Amino acid sequence: MNTAVGAPGERRGMSTPVRAVLVVALLYLFLTGVELLGGGFKNLGNDLVDGLFEGVSNPIGGLCVGLLATVLVQSSSVSTSVIVGLVASGVVGIDEAVPMVMGANLGTTVTNTLASLGHLRREQEFRRAFAAATIHDFFNILAVALFLPIELATGYLSRTAGWITGQVIGSSGSSFRSPLKAAVKMPAGWVEGWMVDLGARGNVKGTMMIVVGLALIFLALTFITWNMRLLVASRVEAAINRTLGAGSGVVAMLLGAVVTIAVQSSSITTSVLVPLAASGLLTLENIYPVTLGANVGTTVTALLASLATGSPAAVTVAIVHTLFNVSGIVVFYPVQRFRRVPLRLATGLAEMAASRRSAAIVYAVGMFVVLPLTGVLILR
Amino acid sequence: MVMSFFRRPDESGIEHIEAQVQRMVNDARHTFDLALNAITGGSVETVADEVRRTDRRINVTEMEIRRELVVHFAVHGGADATEMLVFMNMIKDLERIGDYNKNIFDLAEEGVSFAGADDLERILVFRDETSSRIAEMGEILTVQDGERARAFIARGDEIRHEFDRLISELVHSTEPAVTAVPRALLYRFLKRVTAHCLNVVSSVVMPVDRLDYFDEAADTQA
Repeated sequence: MNTAVGAPGERRGMSTPVRAVLVVALLYLFLTGVELLGGGFKNLGNDLVDGLFEGVSNPIGGLCVGLLATVLVQSSSVSTSVIVGLVASGVVGIDEAVPMVMGANLGTTVTNTLASLGHLRREQEFRRAFAAATIHDFFNILAVALFLPIELATGYLSRTAGWITGQVIGSSGSSFRSPLKAAVKMPAGWVEGWMVDLGARGNVKGTMMIVVGLALIFLALTFITWNMRLLVASRVEAAINRTLGAGSGVVAMLLGAVVTIAVQSSSITTSVLVPLAASGLLTLENIYPVTLGANVGTTVTALLASLATGSPAAVTVAIVHTLFNVSGIVVFYPVQRFRRVPLRLATGLAEMAASRRSAAIVYAVGMFVVLPLTGVLILR
Repeated sequence: MVMSFFRRPDESGIEHIEAQVQRMVNDARHTFDLALNAITGGSVETVADEVRRTDRRINVTEMEIRRELVVHFAVHGGADATEMLVFMNMIKDLERIGDYNKNIFDLAEEGVSFAGADDLERILVFRDETSSRIAEMGEILTVQDGERARAFIARGDEIRHEFDRLISELVHSTEPAVTAVPRALLYRFLKRVTAHCLNVVSSVVMPVDRLDYFDEAADTQA
C-alpha cells in the first residue's frame, strides 16, 4: 500500500497547470492544422482535387471512405476534423461530407472492439466485453441505416444543421467572422510562407500544406487526448465509482459526453467500459447510455475545428455530426422497444463470438477493413 | 453527479482504496474484540448482531475494493498493477481475519466460555496482544515502515509457533474433549488470525511474488 505512488498523472512529473497550458497550446496547433489542411486543398489544381474525391460523390463510397479513414487513424475526432477542413476548403460539399461523417462515426468503434479481443481467452468475460464493445457498433450501424436514407431523401440532417448554423452564426454566405480563424491565420501563414521560400508552388505547395496540416491535426489530437487523460483520470475514476450501478440513463449519458469532451476521444471512454463490462461490474444496460453520451461528446472536436475555418458549410457539417448522434439517441434510447434492438444485436453477436471465437475476428476484419475497402474500391 | 466530475476529487482512487482497507482493518479488530470478549466471559447475545453486521461490512468492503481496483485498472491501465495485486491479496487476508473472528464467536454461541478457567489469564494475554497487533498492522500499512514490519513479522512467527506448540500439547493431552477441543479450536483460530496479519504486513517488505511466503525463504526460492 504505497501511498507515495499517487495518481498516475502526478507521476509524469508535470504539474496540472503546466499540463493545462500545454493542452491549450496543442489545441492551437490542432486548429492551425485544420487551417493548413483547408488552405492546402485550395492550392491544389481542380483536376487533382476532382480525382482525389471522385469516390465520395457516391454516398456509400463516402460512408466507406469515412469509415476506413477513421479505422486507419483510430480517431473520429481526427477524421471528422479533416472532413470539416475539406468542406471549408470547398473541395467536398456538405452532401458529400454527411455520409463521410457517418462513416467516421462508425469507424471509431473499432478501438473498443479491438480492446474486447483482449478477453478472448475467457469465454464469459469475452462474451460481456464483446457485447459492450459492439453495442457502440450496432447503435451506429442502425443510426446510419435509418438516417442515411432519410438524409438522402429529405436532407433532414443537412437542412436542419444549415438552419442551426444560420441561427448561431447569423450568416449564410461563404464565410463568417471567426476569432478562432483570425487566431490561427498567422501561424498557418508562416508555414505557407516557408513553403514558398522553399520554392514550392501550386500542387506541390498544396500537398506540403496538407501533409503538415494532417500531421498537426493527428499529433495535436493524440497529445491532447494523452494529456487530458492524465489530467482527468482521477476524476473519471471517481465518477465511475460514484455512478457504478447508481446512475440513471441520463446521468450516465451526460457522464459519457463530459468524459469524452474532456479527453477528446470517444474511444478512450468506450474502451474504459470494456474491462468493466468484462469483469461484470457494468451491464450492457449500464454501458449503453455512456456510449451514446460518448458518441455526442466526440462531435465537439469537429465543432471546434469548424469554428476555426470561418466557413458556414464546415460548421454545418460539424453540426450534422452532432445532430446525427442526437437523432440516433432520440430514436434508439427513450422507447424501450427500440432501445432493445442494439442491445439484442450486441448480445446476439457476443453469444455467437463467444461460442466461436473466430467469428469475432471475422466480424472485426470484415466490418472495419474488408467492407469499407471493398466499398471504396468498387465505388470510387 | 455529473457536475461533481468538474470538482477535484478529495482523494485519488488508490487513496480511497487505502482508506477502505483501513476500514476493513478497524472492522476486523472490532469483531475480534467482540468475539474474544464473548468467549472470555463477556456478553454473547447482546453483541451477536454487531458481530454479524460488522462481518458483513468487511465482506461488502472487500467487494467494493475489488470493484474499485477494476475501475482503477480500466482507467489508469497497468501502471499500478503490482499495487493492485497486493491490494487483492491483502483484502482476502483481512476478510479471512473477519471469518476467523466469527468462528471464535460461533464457539461462544455454542456455549464455550473460558471465564473462570485455569488458563484464562493466558488467553487474555493472547487476546490483548492479537488485538494490539491488528491495530499495529493498520498503522504499519499507513506509514509503510519496513523496520516495524520486519519486527512485526518476527514477533508474529514466535506467536504462531507458540500456538502450534499449544495445539500439539492439546492433541496429545488426556484432557476430556470438552476441555481440549474448544482450546485447540481457539488456538487454531488465533494462529490463523496471526498468520493473516503477517500476510498483510508482508506486503510492506516483500516483493509481490513472495507475499505470504515470508517464512519459507529457502524452499520457495527459484
